[in-house]
Amino acid sequence: METTSPLERIFRFVALSLVVLFFMFPIVWIFLMSFQTNETILTIPPTIVFSPTLSNYAALITGKLTTSAGTLDIAFMRNLMNSVFLSVTSVALSLVLGVPAAYAFARHKFRGSEDIAFTLLSFRFAPPLLVLLPLTQYFQWLGLSDTYVGLIWVYQLICLPLILWIVRGYFEDISADVEYAYRIAGHSWFATFRKIALPLAGPGIAAAGLLAFIFAWNNFVFALVLASADKQPVTVGALAFVTSSGIQYGQIAAAIVLSVTPTLALALYAQRYLVEGLSLGAVKG
Amino acid sequence: MASTTLSRKPASRFRISRKVLPYVLSLPALLVCIGILIPFVTAVIYSLQRYRLSQPWGRKFNWGENYWNFLFNDPGFWNTLKISLLYAGITVTLELLLGLGIALLLQRRSRINNFISIMLLLPLMIAPALAALMWKLMTNPGFGILSYLAGLVGLENFRWASSPDTALLTVVLVDIWVYTPFIMILLLAGLRSLPTQPFEAAALDGVPRTFVFFRITLPMLTPYILTATLFRLLDSIQQFDIIYAMTQGGPGNALTVFQVEAYLNFFQSTNIGRSAALMVILWAITYLLSNTFIKNWLRLRERARGEA
Amino acid sequence: MTTLQLQNIVKRYKTNTVLDNLSLDVADGETLVLFGPSGAGKTVLLRLVAGVIDPDEGRVLIGGEDMTDVEAEHRGIGMAFQNFALFPHMSAEDNIASPLTATRSSADAIKASVGKVAKLLKIDHVLSHHPKALSNGQKQRTALARALVGSPPLLLLDDPLRNVDAKLRFEMRLELPRLLAAQGATVVYVTQDYKEAMALGDRIAVMANGSIRQIGTPEEIYNAPADIEIARLFGDPTINLLDVTPKKGPHGIHVELSNVEVPLPGAPEEVVGRDCVIGIRPESISFTTAAGAVPVDVEAETPLNEKTVTLVLTARKREILVSRPAGTPGPAQGAAAIAIDGSTAFLFDKATGALVRKTATAHGRNGEAA
Repeated sequence: METTSPLERIFRFVALSLVVLFFMFPIVWIFLMSFQTNETILTIPPTIVFSPTLSNYAALITGKLTTSAGTLDIAFMRNLMNSVFLSVTSVALSLVLGVPAAYAFARHKFRGSEDIAFTLLSFRFAPPLLVLLPLTQYFQWLGLSDTYVGLIWVYQLICLPLILWIVRGYFEDISADVEYAYRIAGHSWFATFRKIALPLAGPGIAAAGLLAFIFAWNNFVFALVLASADKQPVTVGALAFVTSSGIQYGQIAAAIVLSVTPTLALALYAQRYLVEGLSLGAVKG
Repeated sequence: MASTTLSRKPASRFRISRKVLPYVLSLPALLVCIGILIPFVTAVIYSLQRYRLSQPWGRKFNWGENYWNFLFNDPGFWNTLKISLLYAGITVTLELLLGLGIALLLQRRSRINNFISIMLLLPLMIAPALAALMWKLMTNPGFGILSYLAGLVGLENFRWASSPDTALLTVVLVDIWVYTPFIMILLLAGLRSLPTQPFEAAALDGVPRTFVFFRITLPMLTPYILTATLFRLLDSIQQFDIIYAMTQGGPGNALTVFQVEAYLNFFQSTNIGRSAALMVILWAITYLLSNTFIKNWLRLRERARGEA
Repeated sequence: MTTLQLQNIVKRYKTNTVLDNLSLDVADGETLVLFGPSGAGKTVLLRLVAGVIDPDEGRVLIGGEDMTDVEAEHRGIGMAFQNFALFPHMSAEDNIASPLTATRSSADAIKASVGKVAKLLKIDHVLSHHPKALSNGQKQRTALARALVGSPPLLLLDDPLRNVDAKLRFEMRLELPRLLAAQGATVVYVTQDYKEAMALGDRIAVMANGSIRQIGTPEEIYNAPADIEIARLFGDPTINLLDVTPKKGPHGIHVELSNVEVPLPGAPEEVVGRDCVIGIRPESISFTTAAGAVPVDVEAETPLNEKTVTLVLTARKREILVSRPAGTPGPAQGAAAIAIDGSTAFLFDKATGALVRKTATAHGRNGEAA
């Protein structure tokens, strides 16, 4: 690398500091806010010196909000559980559906395989409401409206293309000869899939699963359209909570912190695979 | 050595299984495909109908009338088109410039740079709807830190998302906060995968750095820039989460982008025909974009696989 | 032991025909070498026999039984790959044992078989290592052990020595015939190295562009190459090829090189006056001081291990390679003369490239192939 002048180093430092400030500040600020009482939050000018309180989290976890006006039920923990359940089952189903398909697309170039793979990919880019709006009516006929089953099925739209295209790349990276060698050694295609392909693509499958989980968790519009209050995940629930709780800002902040913590933790854990996952396998990090 | 006896099964059974196997493996995914195609076709049919839930008796095919109305007597549609394009254009341009700048700042592999790049990814991992709520708290006119800061620099009564004048600016800001890291991380991966020889040669020859940037770095980075831009453009023109969580399309019709307008049409005005027609038009736009995108994306993917 | 028959095999990839109506018989216990340049279709052919690729047309018979539609795992074949194709997540021992785990052998029996073949191939000390921790030579031996361990009646070896260094290749070339003989299996061996082909093959099938150009014993191929291309592929240094038109004179049929007659004893009448290419092995040419020799200019000399190769130019600036055993005296730089043993020269038709006259006396196989 070239030598950098002091001026340039100062510029870089200032620029990077501003960047970090802009992107980190909201997270830090909301995190701090979640430990403040409403009185502290409403203080002008805002302060970062305050005595922290866990009352916001306590209210969310117990589901009871006691105010001067009376006691209010908060469904937030239920939303959190819904998020966990919907994301985990959607990803699990997506892996069951997507990994064999990814293997078929990677290994057996059969007629129409590319078309199907691209159709699935194109779902990633089609406007979700285009499908969702008629789907509300189909769901009513099928009795799927406001059910976990219906939601999990629709969540495949998010998880399946992601898993299919990332995992397919990992399968393609395995030398075909290695699999041939196992077949010729006398093992069935299924044994080869289980004992050779799956272990070798394992890290990629795990990463794709984690990413699919993050995307499922962060989804908003599917549940907004298709789920009622008791099936809603946190993304929709938090919005409803803002409307219902009115001015309980500390609890809103705490709810946001609880809602984003799982994805942030997973993102840090799987950061090595993020680039590949975000670009649907087009770029390796 | 003794030769092993082999269990040879009848030949005919395997011909079938071998031909059919890949279809069997991808059948479940295929079914999901088909399950999605049905509502898609339904949406197209709705878009050709006069269909309001409030007047179910008046439901009938009016063919292109929904689209015809868009062109000639529906200022709401032109507003939607304008806002959507404006939103997508502004966010993607700013995110591209900012993302490229940050990627260049972080290009050198060092522990601190890697740490910062991971930190910067966090906004991207927050649900956009929740990110909008975070910013809503920060821009609250009563106690929001950003409102307070705006007041300090002389912008008293800066009303952020609650004023039609600044609503677009506010949601654009949130979009930038969430999605700049996406472009940054893609371009950073691109920058770090570039071959080093041209740069070493240019440094040896004392080529000016602006020249190196515009004549070597940018052209070599173009496939990554194209892919990232198209990817974002496809998402941005369909933005729903941030805008709906922040303002539900308001104030007034200040932020009624395609999906928000379609959602409101469907659930509030229950004008299903118009809602579907809006979505079909949005789909047509994204279809054109995604075809270009997929070409670029495939080229990058080939390259990444080649390096592996 | 078993036989292998390929009948009218056709394999296409899109519009490209990789194997073009190819038929081949391999006898029980025979080692057949598939020899040819890369892209000839050797590897595709091997995979087709193994059953991991389907032919578009034709049948594969193993032991007389039609195996065309039988899955790879039921064909009872052992195969070693050019790139080894070891399972990266398994130890060498598990790699070698993989053909046995498919059968219902006991763990002890498997361990014993693996140990035996590992000892034979001198890799018993690295059995616990993963492929990543093995040297190239050890990888190659592990791959070979994996192919041999089940004592398969049909063994397919896809250029197993390609990716190992020269020393190891030399050792293995000596060791392999013994190993294969001990197996008693029918072997199809793919290589691009003619010496390997000649050292290992009971018969050699020369492949080019998806079909078999010539099939025969190493001697047959070396002494009667079916066309110019095959003659060029076999022999090191490469055979000398010169355009000539044979004539008939008082001493019989001959060709003229630099106005010197080189007699071709036993050449058929039909070649007289025809445009031909003469093929002369470098070892059929010697330097001489006797009268009536072809005058040449010595250009360059390359000493190889067991022989010395000299490049000379004729009066018409045609290049000729001359080979002589190492250590024997050679000519000085400058003018010299060579004697050509016309009895061992080939004549090819210039237009078709086909052999029109094979050598009158046989070359020793091993002398040339060493």
